[in-house]
Amino acid sequence: MSVGTQSYQLVDYLEKLPGTTFRKLYQQPSTAFAIFRRMLPDLAKLFVQALLYAPSPLLLSQLDIWVTAAGKLQRDRALSILRSLHIVQISPPSKDRPQEIQLATNFMNSLRHALEGSSTHSSFGVPSTLPVDSTIDVNFLDRYARKKWEDILHYVVNSVGGDGVGVGSAGGAGSSSGSGPKASVKDLLLAGRLVERRHDTRSGVGITQAGFTFLLQEANAQVWTLLLLWLEAAGHNPDLGMESVDMLSFLFMLASLELGRAYDTNALSEERRNMLPSLVDFGLIYIPRDTRQYFPTRLATTLTSTSSALRSLSAGFAAAAANAPGSAPGDVATLGPAPAATADTKGSIIIETNYRLYAYTSSPLQIAVLALFTQLNMRFASMVTGRLTRDSIRRAISYGITADQIISYLAAHAHEEMVRAAVTKGTPVLPPTVVDQIRLWQLENERMHTTAGFLFKDFDSMDEYLALSSYAEEVGTLIWKSDRKQMFFVSKFEQIRDYLKSRKKVE
Amino acid sequence: MPRAIRGVLIECEPAIKSIIVHLDSVNNDIIIEDLDEQHLVVKENMVHSLKQKLEERLRETYRPEEPLADSD
Amino acid sequence: MPPKRKAMPAGGSVISKAGRTSAMSTPGPATPRSLDSPMVSDVDEDLIDEDVTEAQKEHEELLNKESEEFVNSWAIGSSRFQKPAKQDYRDSASHFFGKRDFSWLQLKPDHKDCPLWIDPEKGTIVLERFNEHASKATDFLTAIAEPKSRPQYLHEYALTTHSLYAAVSIGLQPWDIISTLDRFLKTPLPDSVRDFITSCTKSYGKVKLVLKNNKYFVESVDAELLQTLLRDEVIGKLRIHGSDEITTSYAPTMGGLVIPGTQNAAGVHQAGLRQGDKKAGEQGEATKETELLATLNEEEDDEEDKEAVHAFEIPDSAVETVQKRCLDLQYPILEEYDFRNDDVNANLDIDLKPNTLIRPYQEQSLSKMFGNGRAKSGIIVLPCGAGKTLVGITAACTIKKGVIVLCTSSMSVVQWRQEFLKWSNINPDDVAIFTAESKNKFTGNTGIIVTTYSMVTNNRERSHDSKKMMDFLKGREWGLMLLDEVHVVPADVFRRVISSIKSHSKLGLTATLLREDDKISHLNFLIGPKLYEANWMELSQQGHIAKVQCAEVWCPMPTEFYDEYLRATSRMKRTLYAMNPRKFQACQYLINYHEARGDKIIVFSDELYSLKQYALKLGKVYIYGSTGQAERMQVLENFQHNPQVNTLFLSKIGDTSLDLPEATCLIQISSHFGSRRQEAQRLGRILRAKRRNDEGFNAFFYSLVSKDTQEMYYSSKRQAFLVDQGYAFKVITQLANIEKTPDLAFATAQERRELLQRTLVDNEKGTEEDVENDDLFGKISSRGRKKGTRRTAGTLGELSGAGDMAYMEQKKAANRTLKKNIKAGQSLFFKKIGREKEKALKKA
Repeated sequence: MSVGTQSYQLVDYLEKLPGTTFRKLYQQPSTAFAIFRRMLPDLAKLFVQALLYAPSPLLLSQLDIWVTAAGKLQRDRALSILRSLHIVQISPPSKDRPQEIQLATNFMNSLRHALEGSSTHSSFGVPSTLPVDSTIDVNFLDRYARKKWEDILHYVVNSVGGDGVGVGSAGGAGSSSGSGPKASVKDLLLAGRLVERRHDTRSGVGITQAGFTFLLQEANAQVWTLLLLWLEAAGHNPDLGMESVDMLSFLFMLASLELGRAYDTNALSEERRNMLPSLVDFGLIYIPRDTRQYFPTRLATTLTSTSSALRSLSAGFAAAAANAPGSAPGDVATLGPAPAATADTKGSIIIETNYRLYAYTSSPLQIAVLALFTQLNMRFASMVTGRLTRDSIRRAISYGITADQIISYLAAHAHEEMVRAAVTKGTPVLPPTVVDQIRLWQLENERMHTTAGFLFKDFDSMDEYLALSSYAEEVGTLIWKSDRKQMFFVSKFEQIRDYLKSRKKVE
Repeated sequence: MPRAIRGVLIECEPAIKSIIVHLDSVNNDIIIEDLDEQHLVVKENMVHSLKQKLEERLRETYRPEEPLADSD
Repeated sequence: MPPKRKAMPAGGSVISKAGRTSAMSTPGPATPRSLDSPMVSDVDEDLIDEDVTEAQKEHEELLNKESEEFVNSWAIGSSRFQKPAKQDYRDSASHFFGKRDFSWLQLKPDHKDCPLWIDPEKGTIVLERFNEHASKATDFLTAIAEPKSRPQYLHEYALTTHSLYAAVSIGLQPWDIISTLDRFLKTPLPDSVRDFITSCTKSYGKVKLVLKNNKYFVESVDAELLQTLLRDEVIGKLRIHGSDEITTSYAPTMGGLVIPGTQNAAGVHQAGLRQGDKKAGEQGEATKETELLATLNEEEDDEEDKEAVHAFEIPDSAVETVQKRCLDLQYPILEEYDFRNDDVNANLDIDLKPNTLIRPYQEQSLSKMFGNGRAKSGIIVLPCGAGKTLVGITAACTIKKGVIVLCTSSMSVVQWRQEFLKWSNINPDDVAIFTAESKNKFTGNTGIIVTTYSMVTNNRERSHDSKKMMDFLKGREWGLMLLDEVHVVPADVFRRVISSIKSHSKLGLTATLLREDDKISHLNFLIGPKLYEANWMELSQQGHIAKVQCAEVWCPMPTEFYDEYLRATSRMKRTLYAMNPRKFQACQYLINYHEARGDKIIVFSDELYSLKQYALKLGKVYIYGSTGQAERMQVLENFQHNPQVNTLFLSKIGDTSLDLPEATCLIQISSHFGSRRQEAQRLGRILRAKRRNDEGFNAFFYSLVSKDTQEMYYSSKRQAFLVDQGYAFKVITQLANIEKTPDLAFATAQERRELLQRTLVDNEKGTEEDVENDDLFGKISSRGRKKGTRRTAGTLGELSGAGDMAYMEQKKAANRTLKKNIKAGQSLFFKKIGREKEKALKKA
């Protein structure tokens, strides 16, 4: 749940793609540029820069001039990333020739185009030449994106019992209202197992462990999680006519656009125009009615930003919330429940040694997240009170949320007073007794482990027992055995049965 | 020829096993085979009710839920 | 708030009100009483006298019921104060809170500077401790509300009828309360709260019962109100017709009254020595700072126009009738004693010894009692070890009239007397003791009598001496009645004490105003409101009481024990979880560890069987109900002074009133169900640790619990009160290297099986457990705990095997060894102490 999480998700996804996909991807200067800027550690960037205008392949050993003896590990890591993203080609090691390294041709060309601006390629988007509605400014777009995204988060978090999204939200803190996310988004969340179907909740779905992990991520990582689900879903469904490579390229292109500016939808290919509705559902772009314009929102333009730029995402949303009509006074509005790592460095939660919890917030979203594992009690204009109880924690655990997730959430959002006290006294931020107890509550759930299967007993001889039990062990179905009792337990029956038969025949 | 009996293997702490054995002692309708201190095999159709009874049993040993002194 | 109460039928509202608020006035969750009622609930049967007549009981029940109904009808949740509120502030998170979403209360512009929130429905107040105005707000809340949760960052208080009653009784005016609360709140004061405060304070404390010149007067500042009372058919008839119907005088002020031992007293003293020295004023300021109320009072003092009070006289015989009638009329009577104008009762020559300076919180608590120069009756709650006794003594030194002190045990009677001699200049002949062993009177025309609740409520045949003594106590008027450990005494006992012994003012002292039954609320009416309740954590941070590390040690039960546990009766279950060999080992390990650190350890066990088994096996001294007085003294002396005797096993007779400042570590191996009070009392045994102010000193409190047994449930429940005071219990699931303990008990399966067998056999036939019924030091009587359940004591020797006999004999007793050593003259030191002690006892 660190700041870096999101890039690893994307890296993980990209690394699984075949080389041909990359060759296609790198045809787009925007993609090459985005990956260069976003996905690479500093040393890898340095290597790329060295190679970019090199007339011929460099000797691998030449790279060592940038690396201190102690930095060997980083060098290897950088090279490994470059290789797995198919950015460089390295000649195989041989006795005759030293190893050489060069950039992949497509990547090199696209990156050169991107840096030089030398191409007429529409890779970076074509601004609309039509007149622009002056009410659509950055502030408007921030509010719009925030609402769209919060609807999604609300759907995930509010899938736990209660009234669900959109109930009585009129005049609320400017967040959830209306119908919640589109059905397509809901399907995506289900397919991605961020929520699962449940009968015991009113909305019919319930949050999962992955869903809680999702909530704990910062906004940018959340967006990527959803987009990757979208890419995967499109990959499984060729009828949609969307190709994941093109989708990815498009996302990288959007990331390179300018916030607050209108772009021309006509300049997009038909495939990409087909992607627009989904992107509108996610809140990445805004399309005014009856226009051929689309506006990227902050969710899109920060897709490939570095973490420092990401702060602008939360800050932008915070500003949007402050300007939003009807937002509660004193709300340091936060997008998503994990702002601690970004703009809002002031944590909000106090947990006392008697399990009472106080959270300085008025955000319905954060309250909903707290409700996942807290027995809430009272709400004031800028603060809510509640208590961690065995039942509230066990309920969370039954959703798949882990004790450690709850503990890290509490730690990440600890109120400054707690942090200050911990620093002064040199003690942990969270009361150790509470942390222990949350873990103990989880352990209560793990006191019994069950496996369905078959018990084998009453063998004719020790030999028979040994032969069968070792066979079961070989085929990996053995769960438990006792040589003394001459009994064993297997999870599957068939293989042993066949083995018994074959043994019979031999005899 | 060995026998194969369908069932559910339970792996648990000794105390939990003791409770299961105790529950079984009423009608002897739960346990198929008592394996050792931490393992036993029980009837598949009894697993669900067993878990419930176990939870009931253990409830009396848990931290009591303090209703918030000031809530309904 | 939805309009939830509007559809309530008139008849039903009473029930619903009572239901709502009784949940609120109970200090905690309901005990599972239905399981095992007489055992689980915390009633101290020791003090309930079975000789009470049925009529008397009925009468008492009626009184209890009436006061309860009265209180309930005035709780803030009652429909009286709640109006349906606006709904339009609800958003998607509101449903998590049901009716308890108060976000419609708008924040004030300067809310960041204000430390409080209030829940308009139940009067729960949340206090930000880290706010810059927190300490002022804390002083204020201590006066007007009931503390509920006081950990580190945010505290919760509840505004209740009782707490407001107390606020008024110490002299706060409704407008003070309302405006100060409003000032501290982050939101405007909700109307429901304003109405609640107004109504409560309107009826509370308006009528006072004053014993002046030995005549009882009903007094009020509101002449109209007195006229109303006089028109009442019951009260009107009772008025003594004198020359004037209503007399008018001026309201008393603190004017010139100085509580001894305070900074002010020191100031006065100093000023007297060096005339013109301005220092007195300066010193006074320190106290003013911390004392918001004093400031309020002083402001009143400055007012030019003194407030007029009106009164009419009633006969002594009518006091209770008038009290009860006023309660019915919803004007509960407040008792005050204008002791400075009492020239009928002789003055007692008593003062604190020079240089005795009481601590700030002690002073604060007393200033509540003497706020207007008269003595108000009430209860002061201080943690054990925080000097309750000195507070009582200082009150006695302030009033300077005859004092009767009621204690829970004869041991504590002796201690109280010693404390009087230690802190005050009282002539030893003026402090007399009335116990089974000693029936002295003071020699002068007034003095102090220290006795026990049992001595004065015992209705059965008394010895000639006792009877004479009782007549003496009943025949006098006492200036002050000090009621020690008020929480353990049932309301009925109080009622009897109070009706038979006449005192002008009553001060109840306790560490925990907490009972598992909800009889606490009656104390408010019988003794008076809670005047002050200290914050444990604060006192500990200031070094007044020891810092304590608390831990709960989980001891798994060996399978054969646990199997037996599952089959056992509830009585046997308790024995088994106490006798769990893993618990035994944990105890042994902790004793070794802490003895090596130089700690003095008390091990508590409610189970007498395990108490003795543990103590004998480990070769430690022990005291329980049947231990003779002389042996007790000897064991205690040794524990305190003998470097060889570092661990003492105590039954629950040591829960209260036992002053052992040497103890620095407590281990609890068996306890009284889910009693939060016992847990707090026991913790109190180490709070006054002598070494508490050593650098980095920590006392230790361990609760050993058998895993997967009911003990776990009880243990958590027991901790609830302390946890709300800010104590944190660390769960220890594994004691490092316990298996390496030298001579670890029950290390083999064989030994554990033998232990189990022996435990089962010994306990099947009954044990001595049921015979222990003196909660108290000094055996008062040997009444059975419950009729019909008394069993004969089976001796351990005859029930256990021969091998065990040998073991018993060999181990018997660290206690006996002690005796031998002393007799053999091995320690002249102890001989001397013993002699002195005996002398002291004889003298007392």
